[in-house]
Amino acid sequence: MNTRPFLFRLAAMVLCVSLGLLLYQGIAAIDQPAHVTGAAEHYLANTPEETGARNVVAAILFDYRAFDTLGESTVIFTAVCGISMLFSRRKFHRSSRGLSFIARRGIGLIVPFILMYASAIVLAGHLSPGGGFQGGTIFATVTVLLCVVYGSSFESVHFPPWKKDLMESAGALLFSGVGILGLISGAGFLSNLSAGFPPGQSGSIFSAGAIPVLNVAVALKVGAGLSTIFYSIIKLLEEGGEHPGRGH
Amino acid sequence: MMVTMGYTSALIIFCIGLYTIMTRRNLFKTVIGLALMEAAVLLIIVTSGFIPGGTPPIAPFSGNPVNPLPHAFTLTAIVIGASDIALALAFIIKLHRHYKTVDLDRIRGLRG
Amino acid sequence: MTLVLAIVVPLLAAFLIPLFHLARKTLSVSLIGFMGLASISAALAAAFTGWFSPAVYLLGGWAPDLGIVLVADHLSSAFLLLASIGTAAALACSLEKFRGGPWRYYTIFFLLIASMNGILLTGDLFNLFVFYEIFSVAAYLLVAFSMSWQALEAGLKYLVLGTIGALFILLGTALTFMATGILNMALLAETLPSIPGETLTAISACLLLGLAVKTGAFPVHFWLPDAHSSAQTAVSALLSGVLVKVSIYAIMRVSYLFFLGTGGNVFLAITIIGSISVLGGHLMALRQDDIKRLLAYSTVAQIGYILIGVGCASAAGAAAAVFHAFNHMLMKMGLFITAGTLAEDKKTREICGLKGLWKSHPLWVSSFTVLSAAIVGIPPMNGFMSKWFIILSSAGAGTVIPALVIAAGTVISAAYYLRVLSAFISPEDERSESASAAPPRRIRRKGISLALVTSFALLCLVLGATAFSPISREFFSSIGDTAVDVGAYVELVTGR
Repeated sequence: MNTRPFLFRLAAMVLCVSLGLLLYQGIAAIDQPAHVTGAAEHYLANTPEETGARNVVAAILFDYRAFDTLGESTVIFTAVCGISMLFSRRKFHRSSRGLSFIARRGIGLIVPFILMYASAIVLAGHLSPGGGFQGGTIFATVTVLLCVVYGSSFESVHFPPWKKDLMESAGALLFSGVGILGLISGAGFLSNLSAGFPPGQSGSIFSAGAIPVLNVAVALKVGAGLSTIFYSIIKLLEEGGEHPGRGH
Repeated sequence: MMVTMGYTSALIIFCIGLYTIMTRRNLFKTVIGLALMEAAVLLIIVTSGFIPGGTPPIAPFSGNPVNPLPHAFTLTAIVIGASDIALALAFIIKLHRHYKTVDLDRIRGLRG
Repeated sequence: MTLVLAIVVPLLAAFLIPLFHLARKTLSVSLIGFMGLASISAALAAAFTGWFSPAVYLLGGWAPDLGIVLVADHLSSAFLLLASIGTAAALACSLEKFRGGPWRYYTIFFLLIASMNGILLTGDLFNLFVFYEIFSVAAYLLVAFSMSWQALEAGLKYLVLGTIGALFILLGTALTFMATGILNMALLAETLPSIPGETLTAISACLLLGLAVKTGAFPVHFWLPDAHSSAQTAVSALLSGVLVKVSIYAIMRVSYLFFLGTGGNVFLAITIIGSISVLGGHLMALRQDDIKRLLAYSTVAQIGYILIGVGCASAAGAAAAVFHAFNHMLMKMGLFITAGTLAEDKKTREICGLKGLWKSHPLWVSSFTVLSAAIVGIPPMNGFMSKWFIILSSAGAGTVIPALVIAAGTVISAAYYLRVLSAFISPEDERSESASAAPPRRIRRKGISLALVTSFALLCLVLGATAFSPISREFFSSIGDTAVDVGAYVELVTGR
C-alpha cells in the first residue's frame, strides 16, 4: 500500500480545500491599488537622498530594514552551524575523482569570469538588481562546480572547512561591526547616512554609505555558508562509497 | 486579471503542498511539499506588489515603479525557507544512513 | 539603547565562538560563563528599562512607519525576566555537564538567547517572523544535538511541523501587509479594525494556526512529546520551560494588539484550543511509561491552562496567564532537570525502572515531590494559586466550561504524578538489588543542578505563600493591565 487510508486522505483534502477557499475569500476582499501607497511611496520618493542608493529594494534591505537582514543572515549562520554539527564526525575520505580533461580545462577557463560576475553583482547591489545574497549564492555555486569537476580533494586542499568558518564569522562580525559603529556614533544601531558613512555620488560604486560594505559582509556569510552545507553533505556521501555522479 | 490568476494558482499550489505533507509517507515528498508551500507564499507576496504597467523600482524611474517592499520580504523569506529545507534534507540524509529507508512508517516501525 | 544590546550581545557572543574555537580547540568554561553572564545581564538590563521606564528604540533612526522599532513595556520585561532566569539555569546545567567541549552547542545556545530577546522586544510583525525563524532553527538543532536516532527523528518532526507553522505565520504577515501596507504592530493595531471582515478572518486564522503549531497546542502538538523527551536534560528543561513561554508571548502580543477590538471569535478560539489542550495533554500523559514523555504531555496541558487565561481577553486573564507562565517555568525546569538526572543515573527512562531512588538520591526526590505538588495544584503552592486566578478570570469572562476542564485536569494530573512518585519511593526489585551489590558506578556529582532544582522548589513555595500579598498582586496585575491596554502601547510607539 502506497499511501494512507482513504478516509484520512479525504479528510486531508477537505481540510486543504476549505483552507484554500477561506484564504481566497480573504484575498479577494482586498482591492489591489493602482498606485503605490503607504511606506512604499516614501521609499520610492526619498531613497536617493536619504540613503544614497539607487536600488530601492537594496535600500530597504540594508538601510531602512537592515535589522531584518541581520536576522536573516543569522538564520543561515545557524543552519550552517547545525548542518556541519550533524555531519561532523566523519573523517573525510579523499576522492580525487573528477570529470574528464576537457571539462577541467574548460571550467578552469570559465571560473574567473564567473567570479568576476559574482563580484559585480555583490558590489553593484545598490545600483542595479543584485546584492549580497545573490552574489554569495553564485560564489557558493563556484565552489560546488570546482568540487564536481576537480574532485573533492581539490576543494579540501584549497578551501578547507576552517577557512570557510573563518569567512563566515568574518562576514557576520563585519555586519554587526557596521551596526555597532552606528551605535557608537550615537545615531542608533545599523544607521547608515546618519551615522556618518559618506553618501558619495549617486550612481558610483562608492556611494550609499555602508550599503556596499553590508553587501560584502552578507556575500561572505552566504557564500561560505552554502559552500559548507554542500561540502558537509557530500563528505558523508563519499565516505560510504556512494559517488554522487553514479546513478544507483 | 493577471493578479487574480496569480493568487489563485498560488493558493492551489499551497493547498497541494499541504496535502502532500499530510498524506505522503516518503520523507523526500514531505520536503517537496514544504518547498511547494513556501513557493506559494512567496508568489502571493510578490503578486501583491504588482502594479499594471509597472517598472522595476530602480532610480531613476521610467514610468510607474512597482511596490519594492514585497521584493525585500521575498528575498528574506527565500533565504529563510532555503535554510529550513537544507536542514530538513540534512536530517533525512542522516536518518537514511542509519535506517536505510526514507519511508516514514517504516522508520517509526523500526524504532520500536 | 539597552534594548538593542539585549539582542546584539548574545549575537556577538555566538559569532565570536567559532573564532575562539579556531584559535584553541576547547573553550574554557569561564569564557563561556563570562559570555553567558554578559548576555543575561544585557537582557535583565532591558527588562528593568522596560519595567521602570517603558521605552521604544528606533533602529537606524527611522520613524515607526518606515523602519523597525524595539518596544519594551511591562509585558515584554516580565517575559524577559522569565527567559533570563530560565536560560541562566539551563546554561549552568549545560556547563556543568559538557564543560567547554561542544562549541557548536554553545554557538546555537547563544543564538537562541539572541533570538528570544529579539522576539520579546520587537515591535514589527515581519521582524517577529524573522527572529522566530532563528529561534526555531536553533531549537531544532538543540533537540537533535545529542545525535541519537530518536533525537534526530524528533528533530525532523519538529522541523517539518515548525516550518509549516512558520509558513502560516508568513502568510498571515503577507495578508496583513496586502490589506494595510503597514507592518509595525502599533500602527497595525490602529488600522486593522477597519479592513474587510473576510480578510480579518483569514489573517487571524493564519496567524493563530501558525503560532499554535509553534507553541504545541493540542490539535497540532505532535512534535512536542518527541522533541522534549529526546533532547538532553538541560535542553528539555529549556524547551519546556522557556521556549514555550516565548511562543505564548507572541500569541498574547498578536492577539491582544490586533484582535482585541475587532470581535471576539479569536479569543473564543484560543479558549477552545486551551481547553482541548488541557484535556488532551493530561489524558495522554496518563498513558505514558516514559517519564520524560509524561512530563512533555504535562507541558501540553499546562500550555492549555495559560491559553485559557489568554482567551479571557481581560486584564485579569492576562495577569493570571503570566503568573502561571512564571510558575510553570520554575516547576517544569526543576522537574525536567530532576527527571533527566535520575534517568541518566538509572540508565533508563521507564517509570517502572526508576525505583528505589528515595534511598540513593533523597534530595532530588524530595525536590521532585515539592515540584510535582506545585504543578498538580495542592493549595499552598504556587500552581494552585495561578490555576485559581485563571479560574476566577474565566468565570469573570462569563464561561464556566474552562473552570470544569481545569478541575478535571487537576485530578488527572494528580493521578499520574502520584504514580511517578510511588515508583520513586518503592524499594528496588531483586534484580537491581543484585546489580547494586556490584562495585558502585562513579556517579558524577551534579552539585549545580541539585542546587538549581532545590532553589526552584523553594521559589515555588515562596511564590505560593506570597500569591495574595500586595507586591505579587500588583506586579502581575500591572502586567495584565499593560497587556490589554492597546492605547497605551500605540501611544508609547507613535507618541499619539
